[in-house]
This record gives sequence, structure tokens and C-alpha cells, in this order.
Amino acid sequence: MNFDIRRYVILAFIILVGFLYTFRLFYMQVVDDTWTLRAHEVAEKRIEITPPRGVVFDRNGMKIVSNRTYFNLMMVEDEIKHLDTAAFAKLIGWTVKDVRNRFKEIVKGEGTYYNKITGKRTSNYQKIRKYPFLKELTLEEISSIAPHLENFPGFYEKVTSMRNYPFKSGANIMGYLSEVNREEVESDRFYRPGDNIGRSGIEKFYERELRGRKGIKYIVTSALNNAIEPFADGKYDTTARQADPLKLGMDMIIQSYGEKLMKNKKGCIVAIEPSTGEILAMVSAPSYDPNMLVGKRNISENYPKLALDKNMPLFPRPLQAEYPPGSIFKLVQSLIGMQEGVITEDSGFPCDKSMVGCHNHPSARNVAEAVQYSCNPYYYAVVRRIIQQGKKKRLFADAEYGLNKWHRYMTSFGLGKTLDADVSGQRPGLIPDAKYYDKWYGHHQWAFSTIRSISIGQGEVKLTPLHMANIAAIIANKGWYYVPHFVKSIGRKGPLVEYRTKKRTMVNAKHFWPVIEGMRRVVNENGGTARMARLENIMICGKTGTVQNPHGEDHSVFIAFAPMNKPKIAIAVFVENAGFGGTWAAPIASLMIEKYIKRKITDKEKEKRILEAKLAYISTPGQ
Amino acid sequence: MRKEESLVEHLDWPLFITFMVMLVTGMATLYSVAYDDLHPAIYDVSMMYGKQLIWIVVSLFLGLIVFLIDSDIYRRFAFPIYGFTLLLLVIVLFMPAVHGARAWIGIGSMGIQPAEFAKISTALLLAKYISGISVKQQNISSVMTASAILLVPMALILLQPDAGTFVVFTSFLFVMYREGLTFDPIILSFVNSIPGVRFKETWVGSHFIPILFVMIFISVITLLLNSVQLDFFFLPFPVSGSIGVISTLLIFSLLSILFLQRFSAKRERTRGTVIIVLGFILTSSLSFIVDNGFNSLATHQKDRIELFLGLREDPNGKDYNRNRAMAAVGSGGLLGKGYNKASVSSVESNHVPESETDFIFCPFAEEWGFVGIIFLFGLYLFMLIRIILIAERQRSIFNRVYAYCVGMILFYHFAINIGMNIGFAPVIGIPLPFFSYGGSSMMSFCMMMFILLKLDSQRKDVLR
Repeated sequence: MNFDIRRYVILAFIILVGFLYTFRLFYMQVVDDTWTLRAHEVAEKRIEITPPRGVVFDRNGMKIVSNRTYFNLMMVEDEIKHLDTAAFAKLIGWTVKDVRNRFKEIVKGEGTYYNKITGKRTSNYQKIRKYPFLKELTLEEISSIAPHLENFPGFYEKVTSMRNYPFKSGANIMGYLSEVNREEVESDRFYRPGDNIGRSGIEKFYERELRGRKGIKYIVTSALNNAIEPFADGKYDTTARQADPLKLGMDMIIQSYGEKLMKNKKGCIVAIEPSTGEILAMVSAPSYDPNMLVGKRNISENYPKLALDKNMPLFPRPLQAEYPPGSIFKLVQSLIGMQEGVITEDSGFPCDKSMVGCHNHPSARNVAEAVQYSCNPYYYAVVRRIIQQGKKKRLFADAEYGLNKWHRYMTSFGLGKTLDADVSGQRPGLIPDAKYYDKWYGHHQWAFSTIRSISIGQGEVKLTPLHMANIAAIIANKGWYYVPHFVKSIGRKGPLVEYRTKKRTMVNAKHFWPVIEGMRRVVNENGGTARMARLENIMICGKTGTVQNPHGEDHSVFIAFAPMNKPKIAIAVFVENAGFGGTWAAPIASLMIEKYIKRKITDKEKEKRILEAKLAYISTPGQ
Repeated sequence: MRKEESLVEHLDWPLFITFMVMLVTGMATLYSVAYDDLHPAIYDVSMMYGKQLIWIVVSLFLGLIVFLIDSDIYRRFAFPIYGFTLLLLVIVLFMPAVHGARAWIGIGSMGIQPAEFAKISTALLLAKYISGISVKQQNISSVMTASAILLVPMALILLQPDAGTFVVFTSFLFVMYREGLTFDPIILSFVNSIPGVRFKETWVGSHFIPILFVMIFISVITLLLNSVQLDFFFLPFPVSGSIGVISTLLIFSLLSILFLQRFSAKRERTRGTVIIVLGFILTSSLSFIVDNGFNSLATHQKDRIELFLGLREDPNGKDYNRNRAMAAVGSGGLLGKGYNKASVSSVESNHVPESETDFIFCPFAEEWGFVGIIFLFGLYLFMLIRIILIAERQRSIFNRVYAYCVGMILFYHFAINIGMNIGFAPVIGIPLPFFSYGGSSMMSFCMMMFILLKLDSQRKDVLR
């Protein structure tokens, strides 16, 4: 038998395998991307470099929010050799037990992640990876540890940066940063666990502008996660870029001065530059040192204290406290009355105390006098005319028509809605409309007599101090305003476009003059309610308010702008439980105005009286 | 003097040069894979490449000795050599286990693996036995004797255990097939025991080995591709694995028929076509049956088979090595990443364990890409085909059988080792000849080649 033919069977096998493998390799290497992608996944690591956060300047170019260098003490378990736990504990000032617990905590906690597929927490801890053993050490702390680290192989220092507030003011406005939570990591690819995010205030509103651009480095790594070399010689790497600085319209000098004045008081100050809408100062009292909430260590120590404080230092009053405005509301009522034609600037009403109480003063013969005397019965009469214009036959329908019209005016003043300033956490206040009262009393079940207390800024009406300051700015501008905002410029860009469009009220400029005249008299004439705000060489126009408070002492309010002819500052001061508006709020406002315009205080007695006043018992940490 | 002249004159230079090119390529690949900045010298014996260089030098020295000794001794001493390696295979079982296998005599890098040398001695004894029997004697007893020559070392190797080398020993079945030592006599004795049946031979019986291997190969490929959706660039939709296998078979069958119509004699043509058509029907239905049979298995049975084949979708677990290896190979692309640029499979990065030994194909494929693969496959296929041609030109049956043994062993290593790297074969650890790091395998493959070259150079001297 001849088996020679069988050589071809064997040759066929060899050639078949050769071709099959060639086809397979052509498919794997040239056609299909799967394995190339898998190789990238296996061998390349992205390293993200977080730049320091953008810094913040005030209007005078002072750096009011900066970054300070901190250090993390990192550990790599694989590199730790013969650790003298006792010596190490002594070095970092811990007990041996604490050190052991921290090790356990890292192994259990730091490395775990939530596995979506299994729905379990899986430990991802690896002995060869770096984990922070101690976080956020200050320069002083690390400088006592670092020189001895060579005795403890496996421990390194790593530089990181955190916020620093050199002026210790504006805490409620600037807000604070804290670590991102899982939802934030999942919804925004920018963040990785452990990153910080703006939690409130400007830090939150301008998070995207402040966080900058992360640098990404691709490196080739080994299976043990050691970097071997940059991938493709760094062709795809991007460098980290710190965000452009924010320049605020805020004037840190009057901001910190305002905080000083408001010590031992509850309340707030809001100052706006009327011509631009830039917020010059926004004081919330009581407040706290913003440095108290920098970093995880500080937050875990101080946040609970601040949150549980019954004086609510974390509460940003200028944005969120909704108060009845009291008598300052009469300014707006006068304007609406004149614009609607239900009164003229020369309309007079007797001070008829049968409807509502008033203090002793002569009857107002015109709008200016009504503002000067802050005559309650006068505004009952005015607002009655606004609400009950007689346009509808039935009383209730007429009130509905009138109130809605009034509501539209109020809305044009930015009231009853959030002002959309560039800071998170604003409240809308409340300007009731017909629907609102329908809910309370039923449709066509109410008329002016039911709701009359709104005419003097009591009852259902509520404004935030920011709204109040904006009223002063509108009057200073005679009928228009820019939405109040903090940020003047971002890098080379000006403020956001929504802060560059003028908003006009529904009231003509000419109707503002009698009101302004009245406000001048409030401060500068005998018989005005805010004579304590008078300044020698700055003409202040203002209006006091005393807000009835069913829970205790009345609140003291004052809004003003100055100088009268070329307004540079519009201000609202609200002091809780301080009684009459002229006594506390007015002098505080005048001090702020003088400090802003003249940079010095002439009446030291006035300043001393305010600084020494204790209107609330406040024992806030950090203040 | 005369002898050396005749050696130079009669040496098969194409094979010798291919062999040397392969040694150089292999050494270069290992140098690239294991390169360490701190020890850049290729002769640095503290590094793998330094050691490998020593092994190569030792192997070349052994080769020189082989060239100087008369080739007759292999034939004469085939049985003592076989006996000696069997003894070593027994001794190795009493050695301490390394990585769970008692494969080493000696310690550390200076140890040797007797299993590697058992391949040579088995080849020699098989050659001697087959050359001693005539065609007439091909009956049950001769088939059994030849099988026994294989089975004894195989059993000892399985005890180590070393599954890879065990599988490699089945390559000798192809040699037996070539020499007509098929299992046909055994099958015939069964078939002819049926009254009234009188076969001289059965087709299945005489081609039992290749048919078996084709069936195993197609079944394994079908199973490996069972859960895979294949995306072909020329097809708009993905196809399931078994359809891919069947269509590949169809393409090959059509190609072979075309080939037959064009190049073979008329008489052969019909017969060949019938065989190919039958073969296609058989293999594709096998693939279909395996695919469906597997899908209808109970989960735990499936699991077991998948585990055996290393098919678990667990890139970081059981399938770690294959997955990383395929990533490395696939990432090479058309032109590769360049010499010394293997980012996935270098020893330093260590993403592919054993990338210097069993998975050395990875760094080669990663660094040189598909172009490099063409070169490597070219070398290997040329070497294998050249060995078959050399085998067929021998006057002595001993030489021919030995040459076939060498060819089939190398073919097995090539097919299984590279199959492992591209997901076509289960991961069983066997080295890639002349590339993988390791003294025993390097020396054993070189000796094999040198003995072959020596036997071939003396093919005209003697007629055995």
C-alpha cells in the first residue's frame, strides 16, 4: 500500500492552520477595535490633576478668596516596612489605637466602591495604591512630621490646596465647599470622589466658572499600577488650568465694616451700587468665619455646631429671611398711586386715626410730607384708591381688579419673586395677588377692608432685605434697576448678560421726585423719622420702618440712598428686635454710607454707640 | 576533513538559515520583552535574556557535537536513550513541585525538564520501530506497539501533571498515520466480526487520525465561538459563532474544489470532490450539532465546559491571561507599536503573565503588528513545509519518520501556542519553539533540529 498521498493531508493541515490563523490575526489586529480598546483599558491610566480653584477679588482689587496649600499624608501599604507604630503615633500625635483604627478604616472604607452590577459595596483596596492617611494638614502640622518621614517608608506627603478667606467675612455670601456626593459624581463627569464642590452662595452659583479645567495625563502603567512612561510621549495630555479670577462688585472695606457694626445684633445690611446693580456689601448677622468650613476636618468639627446654633449663623438672612417691610413699603405705594392717577403729588389726606394708629404729626398735605411723617392713615387712603378704583360695579370684583393691577406694579419692582442675583439660595418673598386671597377668603369674598394692612407693609407682604435694598436702588435711579449681582467680571469677560439689561418699573421717572423729596426730609428735616442718619456733607435720602413683630420687640428697618443728586450707594438695613427704625437701622446705614463714600467716620460717638450695642445675645463660635 | 566538507555540502541551507533567523528573532523578542534599563547588556546573565543567550550558546555547542558525531548512533542507541529519559521522567516525580507540577530536575533556572527531552527520545524510538517493520506487518500488534512507545512517556508526563506536553505527544499519531500505522486494523477486526461483512479497509479507519483531529478542532472552535457574535467587516449584520465556522468551512471547501479542478488529474478530481463535499457536510453538521448540543446542556454542564475552555466572561478572573494576551495581540494593529514598545505585554508592565515564556507571541504581535505576524508565519510555515519536504526525500525510513516527528512536534507547538494567544485554543502551557524563554525547551528544540539536519546531510551515505 502506498501512503505517500498522506503527506498532502499533513501539508493541508499545516497550510490550513496557517491561513486560519492569518485570517484571525488580520481580523483581531486590523479589522476589529475591541482588543485595542481593551489594551488601552488594561495598560493606560488617566491621571487627573485638579487645578487650584479660581480666586476672587473685590471691587478694589483685594484678594478676598484665595487658596492655601495643605498637605495630605499618603500611605502605600506595600512599601511600609517594619512600622514602629508607637513612634509613628507619637509623630502624628495620635494614640497607637487611633493609628490602628485608621489603618482598618482605610482598608475598609477608602477603597470601597459601590458595584452597580452586584449591588454590593466591594472593597477595591489595593496594597500598592496610595491612600491618604491624614488629610488636610497645615504647613505647620506637616513641617513637624515631614522631616521624620524617612524613618517611615511607605508614607509620603502630597500637596493639595483649599480655600482661604483672609478677611474672614462674607461667609454667608461666599458659601463653602464640601466633598461631592455620589449623585454629583454620577451626573457630572468632571467630578471624582473626593473632589470638592461649591455647596452654597457664590461658590455654588459660579461652580463652573471657578473649578477650572482639569489636566489629564495618560500614562502607561504596569499590572501593579506603577507608572512606566507617558503614553504616546504625552501627545494626548492636557494641562490643568486654573479658572479665571472672579472680580466682585463687593467692597470688602464696607463688607467687613458692616459685619463689625452688626456684631451682637441679628439682621442684615445690603448695599447696592444703583447705577450698575453691583452688590457692595451683604452682611448677615450673626455669621461665622468662613475659614471654619474649609476642608473636611473643619467641616466635620464646626458644621454641626453652626447648624445647631439657635441664632442660625448659617442662615443667609439677606437672601432668605422674609420680613414684612413695614413703612418703607409706603414709598412704593406712593409711586403706584401717582402712576395710577389716584393721587397727585399734592394730594393730602387727614391723619385719621380711626382706621389705624399713627404717631403725632401734622396731617400730610402732599406725598413728600406723607413720606416724611410716615403717616399710616394717609397710605390707607392711597392704597384704598389703588385697590378700589371703581372700575367694576361690584365691590369684590373691583378689589380683585385693583389688587391684580397693584401686583403687576409690585412685580415690576422685582418684588414677590426671586431677584435672580448670582448667588444660590434666594427666596421670593411674597406680594399677594387676587388668587392668593381667593385661597384664603374665597373668590369675591374680600375687598380692601379685608386686606388693608398691606398698605403699610404689614400683613401678608414679605420682602427679603435684598428686595428692600433694590427698592432704594430703583428710587435712586428713578424707575429702573439692574438685577443686583456680585460678579463684576470673570477674567476678561464682563458680568453675565442678564446683569447687563436694564429693568424698568411701570412708574414714570417724574413721579419719583416727590418721594425722593420726602426721603430727603426723613433724614434731613426736623420732624423726619431718621434724623440720626444725617451726615454733614452727604445728602442721604432714606425711609425708616418699624416692623410689628408679634413674637417680641419690633424690627428696625431703614432703606436709603446717597448722595441725593448722584447716588452712589443704595442700602437697606434690617435689625431684628431693635424697635424703632430710626434708632438703630438708620445710624448703621449712615455709617455704612459714610464709610463707603468718604472712607472715614466723622461722628465717632455714633459709631461707638452702634459698636457697643448688644441687641441680641449671641455667642457664635468664631465671631 | 572530508566529513566536514560533506556536511557543508549536504546541509539543507534553507532550513538551517530559517532556523538561525528564528533563533535571532526569538532572542530579539525576548530582549525587548524583558528589557530592563538597569541591565541593558544582552549578555547580562542576571537577566532572562542573558540566561537565554547562554542556553542558545549551549544549544549551538550541542549542535556542533551532533554535527561531528555519526548519525548512526541515534538509530543504534534509540532504545537506551528512550529508556534513560523514561528514568528521568520517573525521577522527576519525586522532585519538589514547582507551581504545582513536578516537572523539574535540579533547582531554579539551572533545572531541566525531562519531558522536553522525552519528545526527542520518543521520536527516535518511534522512528527506529517503524523503520524496522514492513508494510505487511501493519496489523493490530504493530499499531499497539507503536502506541505503547507513546503512551508510556505520556502517562508519566500526565502524572507531573503537564497537560501541554501530554497533548503535544499526540502529534506522533500523525506520524503513525503518515506511515500507515492507523487504527484501521482494530476497526476492521470489529467490523469484520459482523457475519457477511468482509472489508479490506475502511476509509474512516485509515484516516482516523486526521478525521478525529478535524472533528476536535471544529468542535473546539465552535464552542469557543458559541457565545460570540462575529462582526465581519463585509457583512452588515453580526452572525453567530457556529454560522461563522460553517461559512468559513464552506469557503475553504469551495476553494479546495476549485484547486482540485485546476491542478489534479481527471481521475483524482471526482474522488477528491466527493471527499470534499462529504467532508464539508460532515464537518458543518458536526459544528451545528456541537453548537446546538452545547446550548441545550444544563447550566452546570455548560459551566464545566466553559471553565475547561477558559471561556468564562470574567476578564479579571479565570480568563485573565487569555483576555490580556488577546488585548496585547489585538492592539498591535497593522504595523505594530515598534520594537521595545510593547506596553501591555512587556515583563515590566506584567499585564500578560508569562509573556516571556508561553505568551511570548503577545509582545511579538504587539510590537510588530500584522506585518510582523506575516513574517513570523512565513518563517514557521516555510520551516514546517521544508521539514515535510526533507522527510519525503529521505531514503531511510528512520530518517523520514524522525523528520516527520520533528515537523509535527513543531507544528503542534506553533498551532497550540499561537492558538492560545488568539483565542483559538484553550490555555495549556506549551512554549513557542525558539522564542519562549527556557533552557530545556530551547536545548530540546535545537537538538531536534540539529539531529534532523545531520540525518538529512547524511541521507545519501546510507540506505537503511
